[in-house]
Amino acid sequence: MDDGNFGHGEYTGEGKALFWLALRTGCLTLLTLGIYRFWGKTRIRRYIWSAARLEGSRFEYTGTGLEKFLGFLLAVVFLAVYLGLIQILLFWFGMTIFAEPQSPEQALAQGAGFSLSAVALLPFIFFAIYRARRYKMARTRWRGIRFGMEKAAWGYALRALGYWALTLLSLGLLTPLMTFRLEKYMADRSWFGTARFVQEGRWTALYGCMRQIFVALALLACGGLSIALGKVVLAVLLLPVGAVWLVIGVISYRVQSFAYLSRHKMLGRKVAFHAHPRTQTVIGTYVLGALLLGLGLSVATGVFGGIVAFALSGLDFETTGPGFQPGMIPPVLITAAGYLMTLIAARAGALALITQPILKHYVTTLTVINLTALADIRQRAADTGADAEGFADALDIGGAI
Amino acid sequence: MQGAAHLYDGRSAARHAVEVALSREQQALVITGDGLEAPLVWPLQDLRELHDHADDDQLILTRHLETEDESLRDTARLVVEDPEMVAWLRRTRPRLTRRDLREGTWRRVALRAGGALAAVLLMIFVILPALAGTLSRLIPVEKEIAFGRGVKAQIERVFGATEAGALDCSAPEGVAALERMVTRLTEGQEIGYPLEVSVIDHKMMNAFAVPGGHIVVMRGLLEGAGDPDMVAAVLAHEIGHVVHRDPTRNALRTAGSVGLLGLLFGDFTGGAATVLLAERMISASYSQDAEAEADAFAFDMLRGAGLPPSALGDMFERFREEYGDVDGPMAHFASHPRLTDRIAAAGAASSGDSPHRPALSTDAWRALQDICDNQVNTRDAD
Repeated sequence: MDDGNFGHGEYTGEGKALFWLALRTGCLTLLTLGIYRFWGKTRIRRYIWSAARLEGSRFEYTGTGLEKFLGFLLAVVFLAVYLGLIQILLFWFGMTIFAEPQSPEQALAQGAGFSLSAVALLPFIFFAIYRARRYKMARTRWRGIRFGMEKAAWGYALRALGYWALTLLSLGLLTPLMTFRLEKYMADRSWFGTARFVQEGRWTALYGCMRQIFVALALLACGGLSIALGKVVLAVLLLPVGAVWLVIGVISYRVQSFAYLSRHKMLGRKVAFHAHPRTQTVIGTYVLGALLLGLGLSVATGVFGGIVAFALSGLDFETTGPGFQPGMIPPVLITAAGYLMTLIAARAGALALITQPILKHYVTTLTVINLTALADIRQRAADTGADAEGFADALDIGGAI
Repeated sequence: MQGAAHLYDGRSAARHAVEVALSREQQALVITGDGLEAPLVWPLQDLRELHDHADDDQLILTRHLETEDESLRDTARLVVEDPEMVAWLRRTRPRLTRRDLREGTWRRVALRAGGALAAVLLMIFVILPALAGTLSRLIPVEKEIAFGRGVKAQIERVFGATEAGALDCSAPEGVAALERMVTRLTEGQEIGYPLEVSVIDHKMMNAFAVPGGHIVVMRGLLEGAGDPDMVAAVLAHEIGHVVHRDPTRNALRTAGSVGLLGLLFGDFTGGAATVLLAERMISASYSQDAEAEADAFAFDMLRGAGLPPSALGDMFERFREEYGDVDGPMAHFASHPRLTDRIAAAGAASSGDSPHRPALSTDAWRALQDICDNQVNTRDAD
């Protein structure tokens, strides 16, 4: 298993167990009109964290649903006032400044004005991203020792706004700079016990990870050129291939940039890492998982739909007049319940068939070098984490887990 | 009962192989090992396990302890893999799965939840409506009219118009009759907007007002009304909406509260449905108030023009015959108060049936009812 000084990541989570856990928590969430979702997410994290293992010791997630719920309530108080005011003011500005749109472009501008509220939220979104990662770190332990991250969320938000602006201005060419610098900001403030993480490496090396994106862009450019030159057949071949290649390129960038950044992290100046995730495994898992999910869902809805239709076939649907009739309630409720159950099952299935296998791949391709140095690391103080990623919950950031 | 296990002492990232045994009084676990300075004694009633563990063969124990941590737990962890010990612990330690809450937790939850609820309710029922009212008064009239034109175009599209104004009815005598009715109603009154009333060719029995003083009546209403007084009553009601700036205020308030509701209920399956439901309920309570006030305005306007307020009640009777009334729990979601209540209010506002000059002469009334006869295109089959 471990070669003395090397430790490979292991992952023992099962799809079936995770699926049923996610299904149970999803149903409870629906029944409580969403309040249970904090506890549900916590339980799923506890399962996933404890499925990962290094040198025989499993990771532990110590967050609680109650914390998450209280953090969310705190975020609501702030954001309710901020969001409500911003939305109404922006709508009013939209009405007063823009006259009736005389052309599609003006109508577009008016629509954009109304959606400016998204921009007003951007600083909070970046703030929430840092806080969410900080909370997850602060509530992760290995061999009883806490991870942690320093309090620097607004610094991150400021830098993220700046680097995003740079990236947009450079039409995406400066993306590696943004990826590297933002990850370095977070990594340099991360700790395991008394040992600090450091992100080393150079941001220009990330251009190598963008290889597939450049190929895709070249294909698309050739496609555009062939349209200009009148060679439509060539364009019909090049453009779709280029589009799909672009999607693959983006995924490849994310996977390989994670690998590069992980390989160049150091812990406590003594522990190093190696990572070799493969893009094709990630994409393959995603595609296969999506296919299986689609298959499973169509079978399930077909079976249940048939049962429900059979059960309802005996009921009399004659409505005695226009408007709402009490007799409409059972079929409406059953349809709504069936639709929602399908959504819940889809989410649980995606977690079990797509998210977990991909996570497993990342974990099992990670290696920790110089394990003996880990034993010298001491405990770090607890982090209260006032908002417990409540802003991330309120703003719907945070991904599947 | 004794066996081997592993201990993480919570002070360093070292893994200690230990021996676990019961104490002499059988009241505690005694943990001994080479890496430990002194044996650890964990009282049996303080033992707790980690929940939602991915490994069924493993039991990770810790100790209940009053700490400042996120949970009331010791930082040390005892990893038990000996199947007999795991079975024994599970069988004899019912407190293993207990979740201990810090003292005062319920109070903290109640405080925060109460605070969040108060903030949201304050926003939705006090701040946003007040802001909507103030802001609606600050919009220049021309801008509001322009906005209303956009809204009318959108609504027309819903009713099948291919372009703005395509469904407008424009028979000259009908238009003149309509203008005469509006003048009768608004004579001597300060409306504050250049009122514009038009008829669109659709069979629905309805009328509505858009921001900026534009009122739209549908052909179905002209056909369903028994006499011109009823049409005048509906017009007076819609003019009430215009004067109170209801359409604009509602648009502003909705813009504010939809974002807020999405915040609260987003991000879970069924969240979108909950947001819609909540938004319906909130709109319903506002618009019911607005409708009642528009009714009151209509009564005053009708009286001022020498017409009976009961005409509005008569129109509601027609609505009730055609569409039925909304009763029971659905009444909370309806945008209008119950027709029965509105008919009663109209009856109370009328002071007996005194003879009056009808809103339009017989000829003018016929001209109004035929206002859409010039339309050749989008007349839909009845």
